[in-house]
Amino acid sequence: MSTSRIDRTRSADIGATGRLIGAELRLVLREPLVLAFVFAFPVVTVLVIAGSFASDDTGFGGMDPAQWYVSSYLAVVIAAVGLIMVPVHVAAYRERGVLRRFAAAGFPRWSFALASGTVGVTLTLAGCVVLLAFAAPVYGLPPLHRPALVVAGVLVGAVAMTGIGLLIGCLVPSARAAQGIGLLAFFPSFLLGGGGPPPSVLGPGVRGVANLLPLTHVTESIRDPWLGVGSGATDLAVAAGFLVASALGWWRAVRL
Amino acid sequence: MTALVEVRGLRKAYGGRMVVDGVDLDVGDGEIVGLLGANGAGKTTTVECLQGLRTADGGTVRVLGLDPAVDGTMLRTLVGSQQQDSALPDRLRVGEAVELFRRPGSPRPDGLLAAFGLDGKRRTAFSALSGGQRQRLFLVLALLNQPRLVVLDELTQGLDPAARRDVWAAVRALRDGGSTVLLVTHFMDEAEALCDRVVVLRDGRVVDAGTPRELVDRNAPWATVRFSWPAERPWPRQPGVHEVRRTGGAVEVHGDRGMVAYVCAELVRQGLVPDDLAVVMPDLETALVGLLSEEVAA
Repeated sequence: MSTSRIDRTRSADIGATGRLIGAELRLVLREPLVLAFVFAFPVVTVLVIAGSFASDDTGFGGMDPAQWYVSSYLAVVIAAVGLIMVPVHVAAYRERGVLRRFAAAGFPRWSFALASGTVGVTLTLAGCVVLLAFAAPVYGLPPLHRPALVVAGVLVGAVAMTGIGLLIGCLVPSARAAQGIGLLAFFPSFLLGGGGPPPSVLGPGVRGVANLLPLTHVTESIRDPWLGVGSGATDLAVAAGFLVASALGWWRAVRL
Repeated sequence: MTALVEVRGLRKAYGGRMVVDGVDLDVGDGEIVGLLGANGAGKTTTVECLQGLRTADGGTVRVLGLDPAVDGTMLRTLVGSQQQDSALPDRLRVGEAVELFRRPGSPRPDGLLAAFGLDGKRRTAFSALSGGQRQRLFLVLALLNQPRLVVLDELTQGLDPAARRDVWAAVRALRDGGSTVLLVTHFMDEAEALCDRVVVLRDGRVVDAGTPRELVDRNAPWATVRFSWPAERPWPRQPGVHEVRRTGGAVEVHGDRGMVAYVCAELVRQGLVPDDLAVVMPDLETALVGLLSEEVAA
């Protein structure tokens, strides 16, 4: 293939991907149930659980439980998008032949993953803003000790969990199966990885399981630098590792 | 005629089961070629290999001069495609779908939408379209970027007869406009109505190919003549007649095509030309049904 032909193909690929991202962003705004889950679930649960502990509760390593949960719950938004919304969306597209139609029309293989990732991250950021907007008047926002690391934690976590969601969506046979597996992955991650009881009250076995969950590391990579209890660098590296692994897995497993 | 598609000895197996076994296929510029066969004959796998959506296990494939296994993504931008059992996102509107699939530099879609009766449906979501409207939208999407080749896979599956006729008219309009079409179907009446040439697949192999007329002549070289005839009057023996059936006051003569002339001449000679004279010529379905359902020789 000549160089100019390759350039034209690349340019067409980028244009097609841009159109796909635009279409996917529009379409997700027309999914009221998805939006309700992604936006409402973290808000409702954080408002309940952050107010369930006395401010001097010792289970939080000396931190205010409300602040501990508000900073942790950004990861719950990330998990809601990555483990519930994305797998069901991808599996439904695969099941109905939408992805094959995109492929047959010349959309490059990676374009749908990029579009889904962009939608996932955009929705996550919007969900985080909504969460903080509701939590702030009730519990206040904890001071940001290391904002750059917090932003890195949110972005890497969002991409990693979206990547895991894409992988699930590409491997399961149907949207229903994706929903089942997504829920199975989401609730243990939510309860053990930052949205449930504090790690100090968990038994050693359960804490060991929690440490194996990607969401635990995403939560800590956000919460630790936010509350100033650490850099969260190790957890950020682990989350980045999950990101790379899910991307490689997706590249090998993807079937349109 | 320039060949836009050249396939030689295409082979593809899934898990050790051969589904396409040595298929040869040519599609010339401006032709409508039908790939005809029962479900599971290997038709869809063949066209998926042509579009680079599946990797062939053997054989050579050239589409528009490109190898789909190497230049698949580029090739798919040059081929208009309607795929079996595929869909669009439910909430995607017709106008949005057109803009999503239309590449920069392609003509405005207004003419196509109007030609396929979708001009007033631009704001309608895909899920709210009828089956016929969806298929017409798929045709619009397949043609948006002025492809040199259009692949239509089971275009009318699941449509009611009226919607089917609408879609057929749309495909005929493509032919009239000079498009080259590879039409995958298991409907023999569809292949007969639309195709210049038909390639018949069974169990992944080409079992016959030619124009619909050639296939009928080769596989069903007979005709039947029916007419009223006095019960007491005998019907004479004639050249090319295989069988004469008499039921009350009716005669049915079955035989070679040439016997039709002898039967009609005899009716005129005897001065009894019946009002209900009917000549039944086999159609493609009648001709191929035996070919497609035969057991593969061990």
